[in-house]
Amino acid sequence: MQHEFRYNGETHEVLLERTPKIWTFANHCAHPREDGRIRIYFEDGSKTWAHVAKVGDMWWVHHSGRIFTLERIEAGASNDEQHGGLVAPMPGVVLEVMVSAGESVEAGQTLMILEAMKMEHRIVASEDGTVTSVHYNAGDRVEQGTNLLDVDGTE
Amino acid sequence: MIRRVLVANRGEIACRILRACREAGLASVAIYAENDSEGLFRELADQSVLLEGDSIATTYLNGAAIIQAAKDTGADAIHPGFGFLSERAEFAQAVMDAGLIWIGPSPQAIEQMGDKMSARQIMKAAGVPVIPGVEIEEEDEALAMQAIRNAAEETGYPLLLKATAGGGGKGMRVVHASNELESGAKSARREALAAFGDGRVYVEKLLMKSKHVEVQVLADTHGRCIHLGERECSVQRRHQKVFEEAPCSTMTPALRERMGQAAVAAAQAVDYVGAGTVEFLLTEDGSFYFLEMNTRIQVEHPVTEMVTGVDLVREQLRIATGQPMGVNELNIRGHSIEVRLYAEDATNNFLPAIGPLAVFRPPTGPGIRLDTGVREGDEVTPHYDPMLAKLIVYAPTREEALQRMRRALDEFVVLGTTTNIGFLRDLCDVPEVISGDTYTSMIDDLYPNGYTYNPTEDNLNVALMTAAVAETTGMHRTSIATQVGPAGVVSPFQTLNRRYP
Repeated sequence: MQHEFRYNGETHEVLLERTPKIWTFANHCAHPREDGRIRIYFEDGSKTWAHVAKVGDMWWVHHSGRIFTLERIEAGASNDEQHGGLVAPMPGVVLEVMVSAGESVEAGQTLMILEAMKMEHRIVASEDGTVTSVHYNAGDRVEQGTNLLDVDGTE
Repeated sequence: MIRRVLVANRGEIACRILRACREAGLASVAIYAENDSEGLFRELADQSVLLEGDSIATTYLNGAAIIQAAKDTGADAIHPGFGFLSERAEFAQAVMDAGLIWIGPSPQAIEQMGDKMSARQIMKAAGVPVIPGVEIEEEDEALAMQAIRNAAEETGYPLLLKATAGGGGKGMRVVHASNELESGAKSARREALAAFGDGRVYVEKLLMKSKHVEVQVLADTHGRCIHLGERECSVQRRHQKVFEEAPCSTMTPALRERMGQAAVAAAQAVDYVGAGTVEFLLTEDGSFYFLEMNTRIQVEHPVTEMVTGVDLVREQLRIATGQPMGVNELNIRGHSIEVRLYAEDATNNFLPAIGPLAVFRPPTGPGIRLDTGVREGDEVTPHYDPMLAKLIVYAPTREEALQRMRRALDEFVVLGTTTNIGFLRDLCDVPEVISGDTYTSMIDDLYPNGYTYNPTEDNLNVALMTAAVAETTGMHRTSIATQVGPAGVVSPFQTLNRRYP
C-alpha cells in the first residue's frame, strides 16, 4: 500500500509492506490491534505504543512522547498550494493595515496587525514583493483562514 | 456562615474551586455562557445559571447578572477565581453591597494593588524595594509619548513598558534601543487600552538575567498574616509563565525569610485578607524588587500546595467565613513543578490553536496532579484563554521532580489540537532548567529565531508508518467513541480512533 503525507511542508511517500499481521516501513514494524491501538517495533528492537486520530485530512500520531500531524494527500490530488496570499491564523479583528496596494514590501515587513484572543498578531511578508490587493480595513472582523492581502513575490 | 458558593469563573479554575466547595461540604453554583454549556465545570457544580449573550462583557464580566444569579439561587458568597472579575474592586464592592460574602480581599486592597503606581508608592512607604522606573500619568497620546521618551532617557535601555492597569503580559513590551521605542510604546498603549480600558503605561528598567520569584501570603480576619514560601516562575514565553516550581532552586533559608517578611509587610500595608501573591524580581546578586501583588488565587498556586500541604482554596473559604486559617507552622517538603498546557503552536511564535480534543489522555501515577477544565471530546474554541490544563508533579527532590515531569509529559496524549506538550518536554532537557539557572528572558535567549522541533528520521518514519497503517486499515471509519460501554464509561482505548470530519 502506498500513501503520501505532508509533514512540515514536505511530502513523504510511504510504501507499506505487509506480512499477515504486521506492516513494515523503513525497517520499522507496526501491529494494529483490534482495539484501535498500534504496537510499534523499532528497527533497533525497542517497542512502543502509538495513538492515532484523524481530524479532517490530518492524521495525528503520538508515539515516543511526541505528536506528529501528517496531512494525507489523496492520490492524484495537486499538492501545489503555493500562492502569495496571507491568511488570518485565527478569527479576530484587523487592528491596523500598514500597507496599500501597489506598495513594495520586504520579507519580514509587518503588513497588518490582527487582534485575536486578546493578543496582537503581526501578519508579516514571507518574501520581497509587491502588494497587489488588500482585502480588509482596520476594524473588520475576519475568520480563520481568510485571505487578508495578496503579495506578488519578486523571486 | 457560608452555605452556598457561586463561582464567577469558568474552565480549569472553576473546576478547582467547585471541587473545593464539595470537599468543604458547601453547595455550589456555576455560571456559564452559551458557548460553554458543555463545559466540565458545569458538571461539578450543584446547579448552574446561564448568562445570556455572546461576548464576555455580557457573561463572565457581567457583574450585575452574576450578583443576580447568586441571589436567585440563594448563594451567600461569590468566589471570583482568577482573571475576569477577580481584581475588579467595584465588583467586590457590589457583591458586598448586595449582602453577599466576597471571597477575596477588600475592594480597597484590590484597588491599591491593582493600580501599579499606587502599589509602587505603598511598597516604597512600607520599606519594600521597587524597581527603578518612571510612571507616565499623561493620557493624551502626544503628551504621553513625549513623557515616555523622557523617561526612557532617564532609565536607559533595555527597558520594559507595562500597562499601568495590566497583567498577564498584555500591554507589555521590551524595548532594546531608542529606535524601537516609538512603535513599542504605541503598541503597548493600544493593547493596554483594548484589554483594560486604560492606555496608561509605565517605563521600567529591565533587569537582565533576573528570576521571577513570588511569595504566597495568607491573611485571616483574626490578625494572622503569614507567607507560605516562594514559587519561581522565571520560564516565560510572551511574558506568560509556562513552567513554575516551588521552592526556587537558588533560594536560601535566610533569603526566603527576608522575601517572606517583605511579602507579609506588603500584605499588611493594605490590610490584606485571604490568599494573595507578592511578585518579585530576584537578581543574580540576591537583591529583590517588588513587581506587583496579585490580589487573588493564582494559576500556579498548586506548587505551593504540594510542598506545604496547605489547600489554599479551602483556606480562602475558611477565611471568608471569618474562621482563623487552618495552617500550622510552615513546613516546606520536597519539590513541585507545574507546566501550563496551552493549545498553541510553539513552532509558530506560540500562536494559539483551536480544534477538537479528539484524544485527551493525561498521565497518571505517583506524584502527578492534573488541574484541567477539559476532557476528551471537547472543542478548543477561540472564545477563551487557550490554557487547557496544568500538569503538576511532586517528588522528594528537584531532580526527581524533573524526571517525573519528563515521564508525565511523555505519557500525555492530546490529538486533534496543537499543544505545547513537545515544547514543555524539550524545556525539561534545557541545561539551564536542569541546573536551575533559569531567568525571565531565557526562552527568548534559547530560541532567538523561534522554537523549532525536528524529529529524528526514525521517529518521523514511525509516525508516517503509523498514519499509513491507520489509513490502510480504516481506523478512522470506526467511530467507537460514541458507543458507551456496559458500565456507562467510555474506555480510553475505544476512543483512540475517533474521527472528526
